Amino acid sequence: MKIVIVDYGMGNIHSITSALKYIGVQEVVVSHKSEDLQSADKLLLPGVGAFNQAMINIQKLELDTVLKNLVLIEKKPILGICLGMQLLCESSDEDGLHSGLGFIKGDVRKFDISPLSVPHVGFNQVKAPANSRLYTGLEELSDFYFTHSFRMQSGSPINAGICEYGQEFIASFELDNIAGTQFHPELSQTNGLKVLENFVKSF
Amino acid sequence: MLRKRIIFTLIYENGFFHQSRNFRLQRVGNIRWLERNYKFQSVAFSLDELIVLNASKEDKDMQKFAQTLKRLVDNVFIPIAAGGGIRSLEDAKTLFDNGADKIVLNSALFQDRELVKALTTKYGSQSVVASVDYKIVENKRMVFIEDGTLDTGKELQVYLKDLEGLNVGELYLNSIDQDGTGFGYDTNVVEELFTSLKAPLIIAGGAGNEKHLLEGLKIESVSAVATANLFNFMGDGLPNARKKILAEDINLASFVNKSL
Repeated sequence: MKIVIVDYGMGNIHSITSALKYIGVQEVVVSHKSEDLQSADKLLLPGVGAFNQAMINIQKLELDTVLKNLVLIEKKPILGICLGMQLLCESSDEDGLHSGLGFIKGDVRKFDISPLSVPHVGFNQVKAPANSRLYTGLEELSDFYFTHSFRMQSGSPINAGICEYGQEFIASFELDNIAGTQFHPELSQTNGLKVLENFVKSF
Repeated sequence: MLRKRIIFTLIYENGFFHQSRNFRLQRVGNIRWLERNYKFQSVAFSLDELIVLNASKEDKDMQKFAQTLKRLVDNVFIPIAAGGGIRSLEDAKTLFDNGADKIVLNSALFQDRELVKALTTKYGSQSVVASVDYKIVENKRMVFIEDGTLDTGKELQVYLKDLEGLNVGELYLNSIDQDGTGFGYDTNVVEELFTSLKAPLIIAGGAGNEKHLLEGLKIESVSAVATANLFNFMGDGLPNARKKILAEDINLASFVNKSL
């Protein structure tokens, strides 16, 4: 099993690399080269930071074209984490309205939940969707670690995991070969390791 | 529902981890010792978060500290906050590059507000924890910096007011008087403080057993309780404490059994 963590210059990839190794992935490569991405069994799109800057980096490295080909045409499995999940959506309104990769029907919008504080930080419960692959072996409600100010919404059936913080929002989705988690599985103890293991095994 | 947290704080000084009592440090062991005798990585499975602080007095060698941090957090899958001696963007970057998910600022909050602002702008407020140490002097809670050695001359209440414009993500409040005593937290501080800081509150200093953790967690405005007590909470201490606290129906995350 070879997983390539897509490197577009944003986010702490130390924990996710060590988590993938911990659950037994033989080869974990961090790269933005198309030949590396091509050779991966699965892709992982990480990320912490601002949406627009991430898209600029991705376009500069021509990763948008590479990923579109690998994910939408070749159907290579991909898991987006936190900002990485948001980038898979159609748009975000962080610092103005920006387009995302658009692999999944959904949009990212700022939390509007005054007087609760934003960002939403800490462990919170996620309700798994029925027939989930990501949450296999976990309770229907499981705790995961979040840290974000923007959250995903979607009107389409994308098999979403739901979390509540002032309002319900999409904590994860899983559709065919494309999955995303707003939470950080690599910082969510055994629950998160289980989700990563499920992605590795079932996608 | 957003959960409350139990945090362990490791105090590092010149290559060794320490037990602190009223900010006087007692050497316990180096990282190998911690891994071997305290089975640190398995204890970490009972935690919600880890804070690692560099309390080296003379030379806070950031590179050496970062190397220890990197090794320590390998196979620890919870958020890691690290700090102690951050004086520049470069210092912060060194810690982020070596496994920190957040950084902890203390003296800089008082001495270099521009740095604090630059860090929250660059990494986001959720990545910056404001650590405030206080000690009772003539019946007033006074804030100390530089590892508790320098009195800022500011009362806690005033000091926290000054922090409001800094947009920090969390507040870590540590009582120097209670630190390492095992007598329990200064819970009064929470009731007596009126702060419009919206940042989540972590209380530290004084926890000696799970009853103290429980006492802290039961206070509504407390988001997290921290302990640095290596002697009482390492080994099976912390896993057992967490079990007992969960049995009290406290709003903590639960994790599936480690059978991976």
